[in-house]
Amino acid sequence: MLYSTFSREAFPNTCSLPDRGNRRKRAGRSPAMRAGGFQPLAKAMPGLDPALQRPPCLFLSASRTVSSPLQLLLLGANAPSFPLHPLRTFPIALFAGSSALKAPIGSASHRSSPGENARGVQRGDTHPGPDMIRIHVLEGKALVWNYADVRRIREEHRIVGTLFGALARKPRQNVRLGLPLQLLPEEARLLLENGLAILCKNPASPALGEDTSQEVAVYQKELEENYQEQCRLAAEQRKALLDTLAERIAQGRAKKRQREGEEEESSSKLAEPEPSFVLPRDSMMVQLPTERINPGQEVVVDWRVPSKDWPYAGQPDHEAHYRIFRNLWERGFYVTSGSKFGGNFLVYPGDPMRFHAHYIALCVPRDTPLSLCDIISAGRLGSNVKKTVLLCSADEDGTVVYTSLQWTGMQ
Amino acid sequence: MEPERQPNAGRRLLSPAELLAARSRDHKIPQRSHGQKDFTPDGSKEQEERLRQCRQEHWQLLEEERVERLGSLVKAEWKPGEAIVELKSPAGKFWHTMGFMDQGKQCLLPEEALYLLECGSIQLFYKDLPLSIQEAYENLLTQKSMSLLKYQVFCHLKRLGYIVLRFRPSSVPTLYEAQLNLDDHSRNTEGGRHKRKRSSSSRLQDEKPRTSEKSLEWKESPKKARRHHERSSHPPSDSSSSKERKKASDLQCTILETIPSSSATQQHEESPVCGQQRSKKNSRAGYDDVRPSRWDFSTITFPNVGADGPCTILPQPDKKVLPENVTAREVDVAVWRVRLNQKHERLTRKEREQLRWESRYKSSVNEDNEVRHCSNWQEYKALLEERRLWKKRSRPAHLWEQRVTPLVKPDQGRATADVLQQISVFQASHILDKASRLQNNSRGLMIDFDVYQADVASRFKKNDPGKPSVRMCVRRFDEQIPSLRALKQLTYQSGDIPLVFALVDNGDIAFYSFKEFKLPTDIQP
Repeated sequence: MLYSTFSREAFPNTCSLPDRGNRRKRAGRSPAMRAGGFQPLAKAMPGLDPALQRPPCLFLSASRTVSSPLQLLLLGANAPSFPLHPLRTFPIALFAGSSALKAPIGSASHRSSPGENARGVQRGDTHPGPDMIRIHVLEGKALVWNYADVRRIREEHRIVGTLFGALARKPRQNVRLGLPLQLLPEEARLLLENGLAILCKNPASPALGEDTSQEVAVYQKELEENYQEQCRLAAEQRKALLDTLAERIAQGRAKKRQREGEEEESSSKLAEPEPSFVLPRDSMMVQLPTERINPGQEVVVDWRVPSKDWPYAGQPDHEAHYRIFRNLWERGFYVTSGSKFGGNFLVYPGDPMRFHAHYIALCVPRDTPLSLCDIISAGRLGSNVKKTVLLCSADEDGTVVYTSLQWTGMQ
Repeated sequence: MEPERQPNAGRRLLSPAELLAARSRDHKIPQRSHGQKDFTPDGSKEQEERLRQCRQEHWQLLEEERVERLGSLVKAEWKPGEAIVELKSPAGKFWHTMGFMDQGKQCLLPEEALYLLECGSIQLFYKDLPLSIQEAYENLLTQKSMSLLKYQVFCHLKRLGYIVLRFRPSSVPTLYEAQLNLDDHSRNTEGGRHKRKRSSSSRLQDEKPRTSEKSLEWKESPKKARRHHERSSHPPSDSSSSKERKKASDLQCTILETIPSSSATQQHEESPVCGQQRSKKNSRAGYDDVRPSRWDFSTITFPNVGADGPCTILPQPDKKVLPENVTAREVDVAVWRVRLNQKHERLTRKEREQLRWESRYKSSVNEDNEVRHCSNWQEYKALLEERRLWKKRSRPAHLWEQRVTPLVKPDQGRATADVLQQISVFQASHILDKASRLQNNSRGLMIDFDVYQADVASRFKKNDPGKPSVRMCVRRFDEQIPSLRALKQLTYQSGDIPLVFALVDNGDIAFYSFKEFKLPTDIQP
């Protein structure tokens, strides 16, 4: 027999993460804890049928594989106000599936219709215009390199992504990271489907045989011009600095002369022009650009067809996750990757910079039975981190069903 | 707040004035001091203002471009053909932990170059044109040996200050090498020949299975033989431990020393002990093992000519213990001693425990006076037979002569724990047990990096990095958890260095490791 424990490793950083201490103070703030668990969810999802808002108290019988989300939903909807098995206090009773959310009717209009879709695509494919966000594919991952694009993605489109490059200002730390921004396949697809971005791939830099002498000449010339200009500017700055200090210098010299008793010396020395200042070449400042300077020929990758560069289209998992991601996003949430909480997505009510996640979204197929253990562990995890677990199941037609798990706290 | 959208907005080449202005740039990261996160947006001005501040700070940091003094940048050139980066000007401080020499030139591996570029330490050229960071990612990470995934882990660890080298299978000493103290030796010679050569990993990997297979044979067979011995009801097993070996040779040497006028005949009287023991073991292995016997270095004793036992003259072996057609003569090995590795044998903790156990529960055959009186193999066999018969007679036949015999024999298991061990059905297993047999098909899963502690940086030597603190295996978050088989293979490959899995999930990195867990037992041995 071999016993192993699986443990998470902490790789210590010299700096501690800024929000580590905050976690404890958040106790008692989760939606579940606050109001019997049910109402915040309803509040956060406007347009919910009020009939569904009353928390049905649901006790599950002690079968090991409970039910599919659909069954949970049906049970929940039919649940009378008294428990089904009042005396059977099997542990699962602690986790009563309490709410059964159906996507509000209104959300259907948010969903992009096929027509809209096609328009977006057309825009994206024919004119990779200047106002399009460029998503660069590298090894099947979606990267954004342009600073303005990154800003727009977050501020206008509520998409967060993950920065993983070194920060220009302080590269040797992991607390604040810099460009590039990596997007989840779902995030990238949302932008692409809405016609806001194009997916492109840069071929490798000029091949070995290619002649680049012209570009090199241009580069050398620009570098030289840049140097001359920097020389001029540095000399100007120095002069300005000396001018501001001229008075003090003069005073200092006068004092010195007084001390040495040479008062006869004329002030011609002061007027003497500064010997021409030359900025040493080594002190010239050069930029290490983050983004590609010359866009070059970009190859547009079609995101609707699975390819080596973008293998996601058509994958059942990706399709299901995307539908759920999109639905949550359309409801006004910020949605990020949820792996650190053991879910598929984390759902934030506002920008994750300023708000805590409310929900952990778990994507589960609608008709597949779930094991009781999985539900319990998901619910446990959710209540431990003061978040609500959402079981999300997507239909073929785009509607998404949400079921939340909470601790009833019944004694 | 609305960023103006112009063609190429955000794609910024700084003007000379901006470049100069960057000289006096702040190098501190603003501490996020906007209070705790809020629970839910309530549309208040206050909340909005805080968010605005946060974002402003964030964008300000992101917008900044890297600007460095030309003099402090090391020029480097990307060579796609060889997948290396060659330095065109002398390397900086980073040379202490990164880079290698190739044909007299200072070179960097792609991941090292990319990391240094991101840190603003080098300027990377390709065809005399500088590469932006984006281009460098797209060009340098296309190699099979260094994917984006691995690079993300590499730079994450580097940013934390760890020293990260690519894993080289050949750098792991095989068990046999470790036993013979060869690990230091081989590394030294390797280091002397070519300084931290680039690991052309395909060649090294081909080499690896062969050596490990050999070591496996050596490792496996003694164990089997030993187990066999323990099970048989022979007198105290004679599986030799190195201590006993040493003792035997020490004994011989002291005798050699105390009798300065050591004549050949006097030596003969003592040497049979050593020689006999050796030959006996060989023949025993031949008798007991049905398999054709192989060289089994744990049961063959060599005369100790190490620093601790200056036994330089090997006496002529007793003719009686030699086959008829073999002749042997006395040899002086003083000439050979200089070529031998004379370091003290280093034992692992497990080996030491084994030794302690053996010294408590086992006794050497040499301490048995009756055995000592035997002058040859035949006499010894006769003695064993006699003892066996005597033992038989002392045991009741109805217990011992039938098909079912007691699990525990009278001469075994003195402690309760021993008895429990003897009758237990399931044996506790170690992650490395039999792992060496799985070696041949370790495809797919590979160890990627050797990671060294940051605080040894001052003592760290690239050419002789020593033992890493952990080894790193990079995986995608959505990949399957490795099977026990794969895990065993990797752990075996890693040897006594802990293995950590780095799971990359869309840029987020988490580290996990499997730890061995021992169920507690109530009875202490």
